[in-house]
Amino acid sequence: MSALQERQELLHHIRDAVVDYDEEVTVELCSNAIQVGLDAYDVVANGLALGMEEVGQLYEQKEYFVPEVLMCSDAFYAGLQHLKPHIRSDAATGSGQVIIGTVEGDVHDIGKNLVKLMLEAAGFVVHDLGKDVPLDKFVQEQQRTGADIIALSALMTTSMLAIPVVIEKMRAVNPNVKILIGGAPVSQESVDLYGADGYAETAARAVDEARRLLDLPYQE
Amino acid sequence: MAMPSPPRQETMAPHERMGAIMMGQKPDRVPFSPFIFGFCAKNVGLPVSTVYEDAEKSFFAQLRTAEMYGYDGAPLYGYASYGGWEFGGDIKMPRSRWEQAPVVAHYPVESEEDVDRLELPDVERAGSLPISMTFSRLQEKFGMPITVQLVGVVTLVGELCSVDRMCRWMIKRPELVHKLMRKAVDHLVDVAKLWVDTFPVERMQPFVGDATSANQVISPKQFEEFALPYQKEVHEKVLDMGVMSMFNHICGEQNLNLPFWRQIPHGRDGVPGILSFGHEVDLTTAIEMFGEDNIIAGNVEPRLIQNGTPEEVFAACVACLEKGKQAPNYRYMLMAGCEVPVEAPPYNLFTMRKAVMEHGFYD
Repeated sequence: MSALQERQELLHHIRDAVVDYDEEVTVELCSNAIQVGLDAYDVVANGLALGMEEVGQLYEQKEYFVPEVLMCSDAFYAGLQHLKPHIRSDAATGSGQVIIGTVEGDVHDIGKNLVKLMLEAAGFVVHDLGKDVPLDKFVQEQQRTGADIIALSALMTTSMLAIPVVIEKMRAVNPNVKILIGGAPVSQESVDLYGADGYAETAARAVDEARRLLDLPYQE
Repeated sequence: MAMPSPPRQETMAPHERMGAIMMGQKPDRVPFSPFIFGFCAKNVGLPVSTVYEDAEKSFFAQLRTAEMYGYDGAPLYGYASYGGWEFGGDIKMPRSRWEQAPVVAHYPVESEEDVDRLELPDVERAGSLPISMTFSRLQEKFGMPITVQLVGVVTLVGELCSVDRMCRWMIKRPELVHKLMRKAVDHLVDVAKLWVDTFPVERMQPFVGDATSANQVISPKQFEEFALPYQKEVHEKVLDMGVMSMFNHICGEQNLNLPFWRQIPHGRDGVPGILSFGHEVDLTTAIEMFGEDNIIAGNVEPRLIQNGTPEEVFAACVACLEKGKQAPNYRYMLMAGCEVPVEAPPYNLFTMRKAVMEHGFYD
């Protein structure tokens, strides 16, 4: 088997292990990949991340639901954790930086965590502020990190009203930062209503929307 | 321009109207029960948390709001994060401007070992149950249905161990979820028994809200394995106690679960249960699947009630009324698809009533 074939087969297995939410096998395969000399970033981008992309598609198709996606995310992060020390510092992702959080007054974070996962799998650098995040903190964190996008999540009709407040605060400081919104009561209409830049109905679509906001190429 | 036709006159009081549809008899118009909690507290100048932590103030806030807006639904006590507090965790009441309901601040089950350690609570003292009991005494005193909250089993277990932990365990430690479901059922039956022992059973209409079982979270296969047998057991045992009808809010995107909900009894001896649906479930589908034996309620989208114009809210209500009036034996009532948002413009709630008054009468 040629080195190229070996690489392709290994990456394919890693992708499958993530989709099969097999954490142990994912880590084992990532370890093998490093041992045979594959580039760690290559393994993340073309193994783990492609696995999560497929998971996102399965979620969209209602083949997978939150339990399966959470298990896949555990496999993804376990693999990522193993690979991280081996990623070269010059392996720039070229995607962008996102600040993400569930707004103040709302403790629901499963959806937000899935968006974070999908963005990380797609190569974005994500600063996760958690849940019930004080509104000013989004602005402070953007100023600290220079992030390109603020991603705001809300699951309640009351807490979604905090979204336009964050947007107003952010625009006052830096009008160029893109605002991506999501969560059960949020819709495409909310984008216009609140002056946001993008909306994603699902975690998988959040990646496409983030790429669109930053004029990044779509991935097949 | 044609003159608007004069408003139709109501010929029934709210309790007569609700009584009529329970009996399958023709009411003057479609009953209107908005499904409303925090809005009522705010409406009478109280903090939103009052509706969850002070039974008397909650009851009268709801009663006065019903009086003001002319709707038929009676006061109701409950919240979606029921369970965590009652089993020994901590609850956080909604205090800030952006909060609308209590949330569990500390789960009673945070490890696999906690599952076996978890004890059934004393239903006379635990968590919100004393508040709920005081609330039910007021319901009894004022001649209203006694609606003790018996939250859905998946929702309850999610509030015991957190939803993400429950989801992971559904796949890697399903036996732990089954153990928690067992405890959830036993607890809910204990609660129902206390209420049946305290109040006239014919007046009871337990309230089951189930949000976490939605397909936005779990699969129909997971519903079939983890929810169906336990939810069915709760309903069967409660109905066996002599309760005639249960009120179920089947929250969110539940389309793939509907065949399973159909296997669960909601009423007995020809008395219908009440099934309320989120906007994600088409009312016509709900009527076709459940309308023979149950009253269907719903399902104006809460987001629209909060953010929509009065014209949009009116149109959405009329669309619901047109479908709902096709239900057999007049068994439909207009309701929001979930809680009327605390921050909904008051005029939009009035608009719901207006739609009923203009399009809800039966010929």
